[in-house]
Amino acid sequence: MEEHRMVIGLPQGLLYYRYGALWQTFFNELGIETVLSGPTDRRIMDAGAALSIDEACLSLKIFLGHVAALAGRCDYVLVPRVSSFGRHRNMCTRFEALPDLTGNVFRGKGVKVLSYEVDVLSRKGEEAAFLSMAGGLGRSLREVHRAYRQAKKEDQARRKAAVRAEEQLYKSEGIKVLIAAHSYVVEDPYIGRAVTGYLKKSGVIPIRADVVDRDEALKWSQDISLTCKWEMSREIVGSVAMHEHKVDGIILLSAFPCGPDAMVNELISRRVRDVPMLNLVLDSQSGTAGVETRLESFVDIIRFKEGKL
Amino acid sequence: MEEAYLGIDVGSISTKGVIIGRDNDILAGEYIWTQGDPIGAVKELLRRLEGQFDKGRYQIVATGTTGSARKLVGAIVGATMVKNEITAHAVGTTTFHPDVRTILEIGGQDSKIILVENGVAVDYAMNTLCAAGTGAFLSSQAKRLGIEVEEIGAYALRSEHPTPIAARCTVFAESDLVHKIQMGHPREDIIAGVCNAVVANYLSNVGKGKKILSPVVFQGGVSKNEGVVAAFERTLGCKVIVDPNGHLMGALGVAILARKGSGRQKFDFAVENMEFRTREASCGGCSNNCEIICVYRGDKLIDSWGNRCERGAKVR
Repeated sequence: MEEHRMVIGLPQGLLYYRYGALWQTFFNELGIETVLSGPTDRRIMDAGAALSIDEACLSLKIFLGHVAALAGRCDYVLVPRVSSFGRHRNMCTRFEALPDLTGNVFRGKGVKVLSYEVDVLSRKGEEAAFLSMAGGLGRSLREVHRAYRQAKKEDQARRKAAVRAEEQLYKSEGIKVLIAAHSYVVEDPYIGRAVTGYLKKSGVIPIRADVVDRDEALKWSQDISLTCKWEMSREIVGSVAMHEHKVDGIILLSAFPCGPDAMVNELISRRVRDVPMLNLVLDSQSGTAGVETRLESFVDIIRFKEGKL
Repeated sequence: MEEAYLGIDVGSISTKGVIIGRDNDILAGEYIWTQGDPIGAVKELLRRLEGQFDKGRYQIVATGTTGSARKLVGAIVGATMVKNEITAHAVGTTTFHPDVRTILEIGGQDSKIILVENGVAVDYAMNTLCAAGTGAFLSSQAKRLGIEVEEIGAYALRSEHPTPIAARCTVFAESDLVHKIQMGHPREDIIAGVCNAVVANYLSNVGKGKKILSPVVFQGGVSKNEGVVAAFERTLGCKVIVDPNGHLMGALGVAILARKGSGRQKFDFAVENMEFRTREASCGGCSNNCEIICVYRGDKLIDSWGNRCERGAKVR
């Protein structure tokens, strides 16, 4: 009988957009097969919405849709708990609750959760977290350690390249709009890329605030807030402070209802005053008319200002 | 023949149209209710505009559409310019009030603020998910108080002690208002309080964090309400200009944009008598199932939209 090879499912929502490369290389290095849930589409979003309570944010709904898409296609679905990276460096509570939440939503529905926990405030670093998966994966600590190191290297190289490419965009000719949004919003093929796609079609260069040198951004974030406690928001805030004078407009793009964004976007709009700014909230409405009207008029305002309309 | 330009603004509540000449002179203007039938409203609008218009002297050479039904109506009338209502309002207002600094607009279901510097729009905001303080709120409260929405202004101006009404949220405003009625506050004071609430609500939601500089121009259906105008003047501490053609400003703006644009297409009033229908189709090309709207003139498909990718093109 052929030995069963373990397959890990990676849901393409939320932290996938932060750790996807890390996860994939890690499992590849261990010779463990991974399967992706596929790009977000209407079906995934609707399935996730049906599994969620109303109060969940759109991105969490989409995430649950991705988990559902993996049911029956893998042995485990990877859902880490990432809660903090240090003082004033917390994650939104959704990320703390995610493994429990997923486990409960899919109880008895053929989804087993594989998890690891990063909580630096409680002395649980990322490396130790990955090592803790060794037993569950049936691999030795040494193997897992080597795979993690390799994955980390690969992840850092990729991120560096992405940041370099994004920084180049600030130097390009044309109308540049900075999109301040969580990676899982702006990069989502169904919700976020509808926005960046529309901008590109209108001849505008969208630049992502979330693709930034994270250490540098954390430093700059203090220009806008000393106490903002959410790590990913802090990176975006810092990126806005770094780049506000290099762009023609800023779009604060948020998935409804996002707790951290509700506060942080307000903060940004109060502190950054001399750049046209658009506050755009996405929800599960299928009509794009409202979004298009807002984007079109925002681009018009920028063109007006430059006398190009 | 002299050249003329047609601008049509189809909003959720009302449909507006103008025909202008080369110097932005208004040759015809009309304002009617949309009543949930944008195609029917536009046909009626065109009929009325045609009646006011000297077809022997002028020829419409470019047409613009704006408002929430701009795409649909643009397809039907063969528009050379389809623009969002914010841009249209900014262009219209700055043309007729070149020194304007702030444009306030409250319509049937949404409200906006546009900031202008040297005749150029530099910033704007629009109500987000909440329709608090828009025309729809005023008309429902008028109904509750048993008066016509057109009478609100006159009532409000008679009040000397406007009743304070919670302004943050329409739902709270409404329950507060009911409470105040039952407490015995005079109707005039309550109505003036509602007008104040609309203004307070607008300034704390849409106008939040924006520097409102004079001259201020106020537009949209609600600008016809003197009570709200007075409340704005009191709160802002400056004069608020209401243009007699304020209700046509979006249509004027898009007519001007059509005039300035490069597209030219002679307009034929025969559209009034043509049969248009729309059909919604589900693409089915992938699991997004995009809702595609197809517009037909008679049996001929003239336009379609709503698909996220090229696959949808096949459906039509």
